[in-house]
Amino acid sequence: MSFGRRNRDLDEEIAAHMRMALHDRMERGESYEEALLAVRKEFGNEAAVKEVTRGMWGWRRLDMLWCDLRYAARAVAKSPAWAAAVAISLAFGVGANTAIFSLTYAIVLKSLPVPQPAELVRYGFRNGAQDIGLSGPAFDALRRRQSACSDLLAWSDAEFALDEHGQVERVKGGLLSGNGFRVLRLQPLVGTAFAEMDDVAGGGPRGYQALLSDAWWKSHFHGSASVVGSTLRLNGRAVTVAGVLPPGFEGLTAGSTASIVLPLAFEEAVHAPHPLRRNEGAFWLSVFGRLKPGQTVASARANMATIEAEVRREADPKQTMMGGFFKPFHFTAESGSGGRSFLRTMYERPLFILEMLAGLVLVLCCANTALLVLAQMSSQTREFALRTALGAPRLRLFRLVLLEILILAAAGLALATGLGWVLAKSLAGMLGAIGYAPTVDVAPHGAILAFTAALTVAAALGTGLSSALRVSRSDPAGALRQGGRTFTRRAAGGWIVPAQVAVSVTLIAAALLLGASFLHLYFEDSGFRTQGLLLADLDLHAAKLSDAQTAEANRRIVSGLSAAPGIEAAAYLSVPPLHDWWSASHFFALDGHGVVHTDMNIWPEVVSTGYFAAMGTRLLEGAPFGKDARAGDRTCILSENAAHYFFPAGDALGQLVYAGAGQPAEDGAHLDPQDACRVIGVAENVRFRSLHDAATRMIYKLPGEQDGSAQFSVAIRSGNSSEAAAALREVVRRIAPGAPEPTLYPFAELVDTHLNKERMLVRLSACFGGCALLLTAIGLYGLLMRGVLQRTQEIGIRMALGASRPAAVASVLGAALRRVLLGLVAGGAIAWAAARAMASLLYGVDPHDPRVYAGAIGVLLVTALAATLVPARRAARIDPAEALRAE
Amino acid sequence: MGKAEKYESRIELLQGTLDMLILKTLQWGPQHGYGIIQAVRASTGDVLQVETGSLYPALHRLEKQGWLAAEWKQTQSKQRARFYRITAAGKRELAREHARWTQMSKAIAAIMDRAQGEPV
Repeated sequence: MSFGRRNRDLDEEIAAHMRMALHDRMERGESYEEALLAVRKEFGNEAAVKEVTRGMWGWRRLDMLWCDLRYAARAVAKSPAWAAAVAISLAFGVGANTAIFSLTYAIVLKSLPVPQPAELVRYGFRNGAQDIGLSGPAFDALRRRQSACSDLLAWSDAEFALDEHGQVERVKGGLLSGNGFRVLRLQPLVGTAFAEMDDVAGGGPRGYQALLSDAWWKSHFHGSASVVGSTLRLNGRAVTVAGVLPPGFEGLTAGSTASIVLPLAFEEAVHAPHPLRRNEGAFWLSVFGRLKPGQTVASARANMATIEAEVRREADPKQTMMGGFFKPFHFTAESGSGGRSFLRTMYERPLFILEMLAGLVLVLCCANTALLVLAQMSSQTREFALRTALGAPRLRLFRLVLLEILILAAAGLALATGLGWVLAKSLAGMLGAIGYAPTVDVAPHGAILAFTAALTVAAALGTGLSSALRVSRSDPAGALRQGGRTFTRRAAGGWIVPAQVAVSVTLIAAALLLGASFLHLYFEDSGFRTQGLLLADLDLHAAKLSDAQTAEANRRIVSGLSAAPGIEAAAYLSVPPLHDWWSASHFFALDGHGVVHTDMNIWPEVVSTGYFAAMGTRLLEGAPFGKDARAGDRTCILSENAAHYFFPAGDALGQLVYAGAGQPAEDGAHLDPQDACRVIGVAENVRFRSLHDAATRMIYKLPGEQDGSAQFSVAIRSGNSSEAAAALREVVRRIAPGAPEPTLYPFAELVDTHLNKERMLVRLSACFGGCALLLTAIGLYGLLMRGVLQRTQEIGIRMALGASRPAAVASVLGAALRRVLLGLVAGGAIAWAAARAMASLLYGVDPHDPRVYAGAIGVLLVTALAATLVPARRAARIDPAEALRAE
Repeated sequence: MGKAEKYESRIELLQGTLDMLILKTLQWGPQHGYGIIQAVRASTGDVLQVETGSLYPALHRLEKQGWLAAEWKQTQSKQRARFYRITAAGKRELAREHARWTQMSKAIAAIMDRAQGEPV
């Protein structure tokens, strides 16, 4: 039975008692008035009887809590502006943390939708933060040698060309070794999974078996069961749809969505004409294992250490890769529960920093809330004192104040959940790249809601406890006598203002550091002229051209573009810039003294003649490739740093650079001129691989007569991007009919997505910093203003006794400003100490640049002075006569 | 709060006997609170007066312990009232209380009678 119903029952029971007693007495001849009086006297204190009776229900505590809750709710409703300020202040701090946590959860903590994901181990090949996959031979060797896992599987993201009635569409998918579904313990929703017997060239007796993702099955085939058993044309091969994967499983790479999964052997069609499976130098496989019972990631790592030497040998018997470019790389084993996540590798550190900054914002919001609560409580000092004097237990008052805050926290929680979601969604939207939109699901769910709720309650209690204690400890006699001044004195002397200022300085310093780093990355000369530069990635596989035809198509597309109206220059590129790829290249040269300089890290870019004009990279010496230049001329252009590397004397022009791994004899007699090319020019340095790294050493060469590439990029310099896009579409349709339409994107957009991580950090830290300033200003203003209002009388007396106006103002503001200074010094020191944690995210900026700290402190000082202005003027305008008359 | 504590202490004093009196009275049939007061008063010739401040808490406590059950019914004078009825567990409790009371009153009587006859 509900408490309210029970209460009404009791009221009725007592009323019936009274009626019967009244009735009896009146039957005996008493008048109504007499009887009523007698009955009431006989019954005693009705309210007390009810209260004691209710006590028998064992609900008395609940009863009191209910009363207090209603009282607290009324108190909150009485000052709606204050309540809204507290709720918003809490919601903002918690919401910011929820957003960052949602993202962290989705990117770092989320597990693959397979049974017992915690048993999965991921094997990587790592050099510092760079984690490339394993090569096919390395996977085979590791699978044979390791003993920690029951079995290993290999996965690779892939893109398939799906041919439906002549319409070719690119579909994201994945390649999985035949044992994959067994290791993952994944059963298809419909149909059957493929197994080892299907993972052979040609797909074995049944032909290639494909599994579809649930989402793609529903969107592309409307969930039709008849799809199973049907045939798809992928990359020119017929594959049979064997089944549909369980919902949620979209491959082993977090953030990318595989719609079709095929056996690993299908790579012969994907990577044609150069399959990678036996290639010792192609590191393209993500390798996972399922731990045997009793084994852990640590024991897998220990096992890895003992077998690494053998695996390296078996994976590359000639040691051209393992002993050369990949020497600094090592095999690693780590938890594979979340799949392989490029986002995680990239964002783990930034997210950690953002968590810290969001934590500081929460501290700031809590401080602000605490100030608001204190202000409210101090305005109620008299009321609380009166209640204590009348016998209210201190515990009850304590609880009452806490309840008020918890009611506001509930409102704050609702706001924070919404705010966190919106913020997380907009952040997730910033993670994409050109042609790649990772699906980071940040919708609120159990773990995130629990996090938000826990944080809100902690924040509310954190801010409420001190106020509640203060109220419950107040000295009623003193408070009643002084008329509500006790709290403010102590509040102003609290830790809140210096803490707010210190946190703000830290946040602003972080924002300034990240901002300076971003500006450096963005505006430092990259060697490309961004303005008017457009890029497009092309794929001619679907046009089904022979190698010679492809080479011809490459040339004709570029020449067709160059001739199109509105296009200043167009060029062929083997790989677009800012890709963050590494290649195991090998070039060497002999300088004037006969010293051999070998470079295994140079980036060989195959370009057409118009490259430098299109990209805007300047030539420092020599000449660009001539109009009629061809690969047969065996010429090359070096970047300035490469020229200096090979020929330290600065005489690169006209010298020879050799390609290949063969070591030259001392006298150079065994150098094969077939492999050499003559340096005809030196170009300015470019940050080709990544804006985050130093300039990439480059060697530019022309493509061979017969060396076409179906996958390539074009660079277009044009003042009119829509004209250029139309020209590109027209040229591709004419020269390579059947090829998918390429998308043209401005180079500036590539730079933007390349700097996604930095942009996200800058935007968030700037937002956090701005809010910190605002909150600090509001907090300080509120505190000072209240101080002035409550001490008007005192200031009046001081003035009346002869104090000058400045002295009176100083008496009010001096203490507060001293605390601001304390906060500035503390904040500067904290920021200085914390900057080390950010060092890995900063480019071209010294984390301890004194200008940053001076700037942060300066900004805060100006804000604090601005916040002081109005209260100071108010204090200065106090008229002693009026102030004294007011009381 | 102060008032409530005073009432509670008065219940404490009466508790043992009041519970027994209520259970005994209800043995003759269901009755409401007012009826119980009247019945006790009548059967003791106005000697024992049960306070409402003790009765209602006691009724609700006994109900919670499962010795009484309550339901809303019409009185003879067509009034709606909450009638209490003794349960099987209540009857067992009454038997226990009664036995204890008999034992106690005998013991007290023994002391009081001897005190009258010969000085201790």
